[in-house]
Amino acid sequence: MPETIAVIGGGPAGLEAARSVADLGGPVVLIEKESFLGGTPIRENYAALTPNMESAEVAMGRLVDGVNAAGVEVLLEHEVTACEGEAPDFRLTVKGASGERVIECGGIIVATGFEHFDPGRETQMYGYYEHPDVLALQDLEAMLKDHNVVRPSTGLPPERICFVQCVGSRDRQIGNEYCSKVCCGVASKEAIEVRQQVPGCQVFIFYIDMRMYGYWENQIYWPAQEEHHVQYVKGIITEVLKKGDKLLVRGEDTTMGRPMEVTMDMVILSVGMEPSAGTRAMSRILGIEPNKYGFIEVSNPPLDTVSTSRRGIWACGASLGPADLEDCASSGGAAAMKALAFLRRKPVPVN
Amino acid sequence: MPIPVDALLKKKEHFDRGEHDPRSEDFHHELFKLEEQGEWIVHRAPDPIVPVETKYGVIKKIPKAHLWHHKSCGQCGHIPGYSTSIFWVMRKLGYDYNDPRDQTSCTAWNYYASATSNAAAQAAVAMRNFAAAYETGYFPLIHCGTSYGHYKEVREELMHHPELRAQVREIMGKLGKQMVMPEEIVHYSEWFYAMRHEIAAQQVRDFSGIAATVHPACHYYKLVEGDAIYDPDVYGGQRTAIVTGVAEALGAEVRNYSTWFDCCGFGFRHILVQRDFTRSFATLRKIERMKEEADPDVVLTHDTGCVTTLDKSQFAAMAHGRNVGVPVMSEAQFAALAMGAHPYKVCQLHWHSADYRPLLEKMGIDWEAAWAEFQQDLKRLESGEKQYLTWEDVG
Amino acid sequence: MTVTDERSAFYKNTKVAGFDDVPFEEKERLFGLVKADMRFPDYLYGCYECGICVAACPSARFYDFSPRRIAQAAAREDIELIYQQMQEDVWECSQCFSCVRCPRGNNPGGIITILREVAVNNGLASAREALEGYSRIIYKIMSTGTQVSPDMLQPDAFPDWGPEVKDVSDNLDMWRRALPPETLHTTSTGWDVDEKTLLELYLIWFHTGALDMISEVDEGLHMILQEVMEERLEDAGIEV
Repeated sequence: MPETIAVIGGGPAGLEAARSVADLGGPVVLIEKESFLGGTPIRENYAALTPNMESAEVAMGRLVDGVNAAGVEVLLEHEVTACEGEAPDFRLTVKGASGERVIECGGIIVATGFEHFDPGRETQMYGYYEHPDVLALQDLEAMLKDHNVVRPSTGLPPERICFVQCVGSRDRQIGNEYCSKVCCGVASKEAIEVRQQVPGCQVFIFYIDMRMYGYWENQIYWPAQEEHHVQYVKGIITEVLKKGDKLLVRGEDTTMGRPMEVTMDMVILSVGMEPSAGTRAMSRILGIEPNKYGFIEVSNPPLDTVSTSRRGIWACGASLGPADLEDCASSGGAAAMKALAFLRRKPVPVN
Repeated sequence: MPIPVDALLKKKEHFDRGEHDPRSEDFHHELFKLEEQGEWIVHRAPDPIVPVETKYGVIKKIPKAHLWHHKSCGQCGHIPGYSTSIFWVMRKLGYDYNDPRDQTSCTAWNYYASATSNAAAQAAVAMRNFAAAYETGYFPLIHCGTSYGHYKEVREELMHHPELRAQVREIMGKLGKQMVMPEEIVHYSEWFYAMRHEIAAQQVRDFSGIAATVHPACHYYKLVEGDAIYDPDVYGGQRTAIVTGVAEALGAEVRNYSTWFDCCGFGFRHILVQRDFTRSFATLRKIERMKEEADPDVVLTHDTGCVTTLDKSQFAAMAHGRNVGVPVMSEAQFAALAMGAHPYKVCQLHWHSADYRPLLEKMGIDWEAAWAEFQQDLKRLESGEKQYLTWEDVG
Repeated sequence: MTVTDERSAFYKNTKVAGFDDVPFEEKERLFGLVKADMRFPDYLYGCYECGICVAACPSARFYDFSPRRIAQAAAREDIELIYQQMQEDVWECSQCFSCVRCPRGNNPGGIITILREVAVNNGLASAREALEGYSRIIYKIMSTGTQVSPDMLQPDAFPDWGPEVKDVSDNLDMWRRALPPETLHTTSTGWDVDEKTLLELYLIWFHTGALDMISEVDEGLHMILQEVMEERLEDAGIEV
């Protein structure tokens, strides 16, 4: 029985899982399809992380250093293409630039994460593909990281910017009926960063509900309003159109109870999370049940957050559904613990 | 890795829907399943067909020929040049059709306006018309935007409510009619969109100097919104492609304005008994915005109510010094003019309100001479020389 | 005002909603009819008050009208508020269905369609008022199978539509004969409808109860329609 645990995906959850296994003395291979580690925060050029405002690059860098220091075998630019066998004797085929190879492992941890909802699929008329000045959260992250927040149409800094919440989430028509959990916090964080980087710019957030759980309430929401004067308006936007050289947004100010139409320089769509192509692929290749949204289904919620429908395979991070970084760290660790426990002590207790 | 603005813009150039949109489920499966169960006959769309893409990627079949013209109350009653142009273009392109007398209005007036109807009556009226078309062998082509949207709603209700189907079946039985559901519910503007290149091939008037704004009908694309035509080459596939696709194929410049998605303000009841609402809405939210922001030569739309509202609301508004005064017509009349149709004998523009003569001049049409020709024809009718104007008379 | 109704603390206060002369049981009965309609479950799920429906609504810009309040009142089953809406608000909706953009899948315009039908079926004052001056239109669509016929374009009916209305009515017969499509030479109907087709339409009105609905809002109109239809059916040897 091979003792190796394979971790698929080198984002925050995968890094935490891999290092945890190594810290506990277990052999571990980390398989990552990009040429770098750090996952979505690095690939999409996230600026500061929510809520502590630490640079994403620095924080992820620390996780990567931890993985390297712990002696994890890292396979960059490799993808899992097949899986044979049963726990605890899996044979994972991985393909990379140097060719194919088979990894024999006793347990597998899926950490393939999410991708951002594509606003072109939105039922409302946001014109992401029509108007240069309509962006998504991750587009603004990249600009914030670059300290270059400008209107793509003019190259000049904006004077009025707004966020539209729940884009691609909480929607029966689109089919993503869930809440994507982090967008309210991330939008508020980005709003604070905009106010810091472009002090002359007015920032609005149009929302259905403001969802900032636990300490995010007073770490982000209250400072956004009280220190940075971000304007929160309850009432979501349904249309974004061009008016002159500005954008016209239409919504209802539900507090006032009447329709509202205002111009903005930029509109930022707070897009939700969907399963990544990698997550969909892993559910197929590894034969683990997805839920109806395509994320990996956990077999014993709510107290077991990482076990999948297949023995010997666990999932963590955003491959399970919308997750923040704390979820990624926690579930990464939980998956590592359960995987090692499985290999070192049978049978695995069920909660 | 800093991301320059250019890379960002490039990323937004092209939209690909991808396969994992649960709305890409095809309702046709349900139609055929019900046919297998003996619930109804699915009236197949006859060949030759033009396949077009709808909002979520499901393919819709648009038949070119053998069409049964499901006429529109308001078009035939108040803007007959609209219906005449639809027939004229179809004749010019050489496709056979049936113009039935065995057709009632969809009666949505009795539903949306006065609410003096119910789901069963509306479904029965729809199914009666579909059965009547089936009996002739010709496939229904719906002229009015509301009829089209309403029939899509009726189709949903009948697909999902067996008790409604049973009730309608009983009534059809009493009328001696079969239960028939067309494979597609096709709006005439979808036919025009599918045929836009054949239409452009027969274009004889130059429209390159014509600027148009497009008003899409609410009932076309907001009711059962997945079943409406979207085209990646028109608005990047983010707005419905009908009318705009035709105008662009004819070489006209289609200009944008900031109330594109707004209703025209027709309101059904409102345009008859609460006209201040309709007139205010049409003027302030649509016509004035179009004039301020786009300054078009013509407003194009594809529904009876929209043409009526946008055209007829301008006269009284002019008395209040509002910024109005732009002709309104259907893309059918626009296409007919492009193909050389007579502005009065075919497009019947004398039934319209807002001044269309500057537009005709821009199209290179001598409207004075055209009106004189039409008057000549009217004299022949008056003298009893002819009973009616025929297709041969209008060219 | 803090007077609480015994039945439910959150119903809109009767004295504020108005119509406190109507017994609560009657209001409850009417909402029961709305809920029992086949279409209702397709039109109402839950509401998280996002305001997209109001943002898209043309009537919300012109009237003090809110599709969101319609959906919320129905979701909360606030009997008092719903009754008030049936009497005051529902006829302001322009039935454009822009509100169908609702992310929960609600259809406020559709809920309004049902509310209106219940108002008509039960002879509510709002229905009678809204359809005052409308009887000619109902008569035309139900008895001829077409609507807004050419002969309805009279300058005294549409003075605000422009001078061509007079031209149309002055030249109506000739201008209709100057239309190439053979079915459009009519003046009292939009197009030429077969007798048999009309009889089929009348049978639909009888068998679905659509004709009977009229009796609650306009007894005179109902009588005329019934007479006209029964007579024509009788002439054709058809029994209802």
